[in-house]
Parts: sequence; C-alpha cells; structure tokens
Amino acid sequence: MRLPFASGFTAEAARFQWRLLGVLALVVLVPATIVLLVARHNMTREEEHRRETEFQVSLALLRNVQQNRHAALVERCKSLATKSRIQAALEDNAEDLLYLSARDELRDLLAAAPDTAARAGESRRTARFYRFLDAKGRLLVPEKGAAAGELAPAEEDKLSLAALPDQPRLGYLALRPADHEAELFEMIVIPIFSTESGRKLAALVLGFEPLRLAGIPGGNALVNGIWLESRAHMAAAGPGSSPEFGRNLAAALATTGGPGEGRHYFSADHESWLVFSQRLDADGVYAPAYEVCAFPLGSMLERQRTLTWQIIGAGAAVMLLGLVLSYFLSYRLSVPVERLAHDSEVQRTMRAEAEAALETTSAELDRTARFSANASHQLKTPVAVMRAGLETLQARGTLGEADSHELEALIHQTYRISSVIEDLLLLSRMDAGRLRLDLTAVSLSDLIASALDDLSALAGDQELKVEQDCPPDLHIAGEKRYTALIVQNLLENARKYNRPGGSIRITARENAGGVSLTIGNTALRPIPADVRAHIFERFHRGAQGENVPGYGLGLNLARELARLHGGDLLLVRSDEAWTEFAVSFRSAPRMEGVPA
Amino acid sequence: MKIAHTGLMLIVAGWLALTATGTAATIEGRVTLPKTSGTTVVNRRYEIVSSGGVVSTNPPVAVVYLDGDFPPAQATPAVQVGQKDLRFVPQLLVVQAGTRVEFPNLDNTFHNIFSYSPAKRFDLGRYRMDEKPVPAVMFDTPGVVVLRCEIHEHMRGVILVLATPHFTITDTEGNYRLDGLPAGTYRLKTWLDSRTTQERKVELGANTLLRLDLP
Repeated sequence: MRLPFASGFTAEAARFQWRLLGVLALVVLVPATIVLLVARHNMTREEEHRRETEFQVSLALLRNVQQNRHAALVERCKSLATKSRIQAALEDNAEDLLYLSARDELRDLLAAAPDTAARAGESRRTARFYRFLDAKGRLLVPEKGAAAGELAPAEEDKLSLAALPDQPRLGYLALRPADHEAELFEMIVIPIFSTESGRKLAALVLGFEPLRLAGIPGGNALVNGIWLESRAHMAAAGPGSSPEFGRNLAAALATTGGPGEGRHYFSADHESWLVFSQRLDADGVYAPAYEVCAFPLGSMLERQRTLTWQIIGAGAAVMLLGLVLSYFLSYRLSVPVERLAHDSEVQRTMRAEAEAALETTSAELDRTARFSANASHQLKTPVAVMRAGLETLQARGTLGEADSHELEALIHQTYRISSVIEDLLLLSRMDAGRLRLDLTAVSLSDLIASALDDLSALAGDQELKVEQDCPPDLHIAGEKRYTALIVQNLLENARKYNRPGGSIRITARENAGGVSLTIGNTALRPIPADVRAHIFERFHRGAQGENVPGYGLGLNLARELARLHGGDLLLVRSDEAWTEFAVSFRSAPRMEGVPA
Repeated sequence: MKIAHTGLMLIVAGWLALTATGTAATIEGRVTLPKTSGTTVVNRRYEIVSSGGVVSTNPPVAVVYLDGDFPPAQATPAVQVGQKDLRFVPQLLVVQAGTRVEFPNLDNTFHNIFSYSPAKRFDLGRYRMDEKPVPAVMFDTPGVVVLRCEIHEHMRGVILVLATPHFTITDTEGNYRLDGLPAGTYRLKTWLDSRTTQERKVELGANTLLRLDLP
C-alpha cells in the first residue's frame, strides 16, 4: 500500500540501510586492514630475519673457512719463521738472501696460481704473493726472481706497517698486481720472532684472494662483496657487479657513516636492497673491511604485493559478502522498522484525522446541543404562556362544554409539548456531555413501585394486569431522577403498546454484572425485524404506534440514560404475543447502599 | 786426537816464531767483561748468543788481538769446528784470514752447516758423521761469521776471522795473555761482541811485558 507519506518514509529507511551498510563495511574493513598491516609487518620482519640469519650463517661459514686458513697458515708460517735460513737472513745481515731462502719454503704456498688452481679448495690456501717487512714494518723488496708474487712497486709500499703486530693478523688491501686491475686481497700478517732472543725480527705478509660468501640460499640475485676504503668490491658476477650499484652502495653506506655492523636499506638500479654488513677483520692491521651482503628486496616486495592483493582480494570478498549480508540484514532489520514506521505513520494520520473529526463532531455536537438547549428553553416559555392562557380561558368557564373539552385537550397537549421539551433538554444535555450523575444507591423496588403508581394513574381504561417479581432489597447505582425516568419510560411503553386486557410483567434479578430489570408486556403486534434496529433512535415510532400517544423519544432517552449509568437497554423479545425489554444497571455497593 | 795434535802444532809454531825473532813481547792483563746475565757458569763452556742481531758469548768472553799490517797466513794448518751433541765445538773460533776450517760432524745425525754472514757465505749441505772428505771452508775475509745448522735451528757458532795471527780468547774472568808479539806500534783490539770492538794503541818494545787492563 502506498501512502502519500511513503516516499519520505522510504528515504528514511534507505538512509538507515546505508548507515547499516557503512557500519558493516567498517566492521569488515578495519580488521582486514589490521590483518594486512600485521601480515605485512610480520612478513617483512620474518624475511629480514631469515635474510639476516642466512647472512650470519654464511658469514659464520666464511669465518670458519677464514679461520681454518688463517690457523693453517699461521702454523705453517710460524714454522717457516723459525727456519734457520730465514732467521739467518734476518739476523745475519743477509736480507738479500731472505726471499731466496723463503722461496723454497713458501714455494708450495704459491705453487698453484689462482687461474690454474683446479680446485677451489686448493686456491683458498694459495697465496698470490708474499712479502717480508722488517722489524720496523718497512717492506723488504724482493730480489729479482724471488718468485714472491708480482706486485707493482707502488702497490708494494702499501703493505708497509707502522708497527709489526705481536700476533698474526688479518687485513684487507685493494692492490694492483703488476699489469692487472685493482684487486682486493685478504692479507695475513705473521710476525717472525727470533728463535734465540724472542725479538721481533720481521713480519711475513701473505696476500690471498679474499674468501667470498658462498652457499647463501638467497638465490642468484644476492650480491655480496667487501667494503674497503669507501669502495665496495663486489663479487664479479651478478647484478651488483655494475659500477652503478657499487657507487650507489657506497653512497648509501657513506650516508650512514660507513657500513658499520648491522643492516641498511638503499635503492640502486631500480631495485631496493637490504644490506647486511659485518666487520671482517677484527683487529685488522690495514683499513677496516666489512663483508657486505645485499639482498634484493624485489622478490620480497613482489611477495608483499601478492600478499597485499590476496588480502585485499579476501577483504573485498568478505566485503562483498558483508555487503550482501548487510543488505539482507538491513533489509530484514529495516522491514519491521519500516513497517513500524509505516504503521505509526498511518496511525498518526488516522489519529490526527480522528482527532480532527472528533473535534468537528464535538463542535457540531456542541453546537447541536446548544441549539437543542436553546431551542428547548425558547420553546418552554411560549408553551408555558400558552398553557397559562388556556387555563385562564378554562377557568373563566365562559366556554361551552364542547369548547371546554377542546380546551382541555389543548391544555393536555401543552403538557405533552412540555414533556417533549423536557426530554429534549435532557437529551441535549447528555449529548453535550453536560449531564453529571450523582450516583447513589437507589432502591429498584421503590422505583418500580413509584412508576407503577404513576402508571395506574394513567392506566385509564386499559385494565392491564401487572405482575411484579422484584426482590425488595435490590439497590442499583444511579441517580434517582434518571433511573426513575428509565423505568417510567419502559413501563409507559409497556402500557402504551399493550393490548387491551393484556398484562405487564416486571422482573428484577441480581446477576454477576449487576442488576437486570426485565419489563415485558403482551404485544399488540410484533415489531418488524427491519424496525427493531431503529426503535432506539430518536423520534422513531413504530408503524404500529400511529394511534398511540408518544413522540419517539422515550426509548432513546431510556437507553441513553441506561448507558450513562454503565448499563444498557435491549429489546430481548418481540413476537406475536410478547414484547420484552431488558435494562441492566450496576448494582450499588452494599455498604454505601444508603447515602449518609 | 787431531785437535790436540793441531794445538801442539800451533804451540810449536808460536814458540818457533818467538825464538826466531828473539824480540818477542808479551801483553797481559784483564778485560772488563760485560756483566754476565744469569747464573754463573761454573765450567768454562760458553754459548754464542745473538741479541738484537749482535752475536756474543754467554758467559761473556772477549777476543784480544793485535791489529797490524801482518802478512797473510801462509799454509796455516786447518782448524776444526766440530758438531757434537748438537752444538758447535768450539762455539767461538778465532782464525787468521786464510785459514781453512773443517766442520766434522761428530753426531749420529745429519747436519747442514751454513752461514749467511757477509764475511763468508757458505752452505755445506747435509752430511753425516763419516762424511769424507770432511767439509771445510776457507775463511779469507776478516769478519764475524755466524755458523748455523739448517736442520738444528738452535745451533750457533761464531768464527772470528782476523787479519792477524796474534790473538787470544780471554777466560770468563777476562784474563788474557798475548805472547810472542813483534815490537812496534800496533792497535790492540778487544772484540766483545759482533758489534763492539774496542781498540787502543800499544807500543811494543823487544822483550817487554806490557801489563794492560782493558778497556
């Protein structure tokens, strides 16, 4: 059903639906976002942690190899340093014989040139060159043909030290072997002590190819190298070997004040890198060197993107589901609300209409009642004047008998008019709601008795038989005037619409709801079915009552009064033989039965 | 046996030289030796030690010799520095330039005697006890020759090659005596270690006994 206000109302319902949707979307979105963020964070952390672990493990491996090599070399060189010839060359002013003496001893150390080293394991122990430093750390230049590994003279000078270490030490140097490009070398510096005096005689410096991280499961994309003197010496192959990468790495590491220990992030070659670095040569004798290991974050970022999309997809799916659900839910929720709103709207309108109607009615009623009252009052006076005039005429006794009789009838008619006016007044007061009842306990039997008295006065020639069955102590709650009027009207009806020689039966009974008074009479003829519904209407008189005195207000008045007293008046029987009305009253409380 | 024989020969030669000139002078005295480090060695054996590249003996002894313009040694008999119980015997040998020194191996193991000293570089290679001929080296340049064994790194010996036939090794107290010296003006040198040699001028008359504490 579409009502005039329906459009405004559906807009309200739609707003409600949208709000509900919004809340549901929020409920889906916020956890999805949180899950996404947490997942990303965890992933990044895990990835980094994994990378770092890989780096550490590989570095530990490297250190292990390095230490092994170091230890083996140190052992080897210690024994070499105690050799008589070396000692003799150093102690006996025979430095010219030093390299020659060492040549035989170190021959195997240099034996396998790096390019000819078949096995990687072999080359790890193979030095590319060696040099001796004297007791003051100065380089002892090898003789021609010393076979100590070729180095350009300028590079040789870099090997010199300010002071010889007391222990074998590591170090890294970027050197340019003769006719070669600059290369990074891992240096081992082994001090040589006199076997006799324990004095530090010299040091042996061995240059190796640096050990490279190996076996990092980071894949081919991994880049590692050694950071030395603001330069990254990356492994020969891989994306990190490009000069640009090295420059960028250098720049990135320089901004953080050198690599230090730990992790760094930087971008190069359109790629993000996670860089771990760790000092390689603890207590190194040359410039500090760091193992630098750069992991491209591309795959991780790729995976993160995938994860993001997955989560977004899942979120969207959940969202969609939520939307559908929320739609249904909001629909389900809003339908009753809608109905409620609709109903309340309808009710409000109806009430407003009813109120308006009521107001109109009430105003009309008021007006009618006022009119009736006014009319009655206006009528009473002329009637009274008329009667007074008629009675004066009668009292003069100047009229003939026929005229006097006519006058008598006229006077009687004024009484009737007065009575009608009284009734109308009463009715109009009732209609206007101005009739206030002063309820007291009224003895029903007294009422009946009084009414019967009046009736017998009026009975005239009818010779009616009256049966009465009324408990003497029956009291009803009511105002005596009006309850008497009810009984009077009914009895009058019973008399008026009775057949000559008929009977009237009055029965009063107390029942659960109150008191029921039944007044029946032998009927002239039955009330037709279509008339029965209208007999309580104002100014209605049955068709049979043409020659019966009355004006059609009695039953209406009786019923209105009965209802005013909380009871009712009903026609309970109407047939050929008998007409019977029943009036119900509320019984009076026993204790307050008699007013104080 | 051979050493004893050689020693006897030397003494005889010296005596002959003295009697031949008839004007032999003698210098005797005491060299103030560097403080000995460590415990007093009761016997008179000493070791060659090098400290800071300086070879000396422990306990310290000194070599006192007369430096002058002497003719080179003519057919001086060979002297021997043996290797016994992984040591050089004697550990300090003083010879005149032009002396041939034999290095017999008296141990039941290999030795490889060599020297990188600028005064004489040689390398005898490995040889056994019964190596024949006995490995020998001619020392013709004055100077300190540090003897080492390539196999036994601790072995040290010193041969002090001098241009003079007049030399002696002090005892561990520093006492010395140089006999049969020719008259004339000479430099008396005291070799304390490979870096420290002191000298002073001496004037020797015929048949004089010069009492001289050094330095």
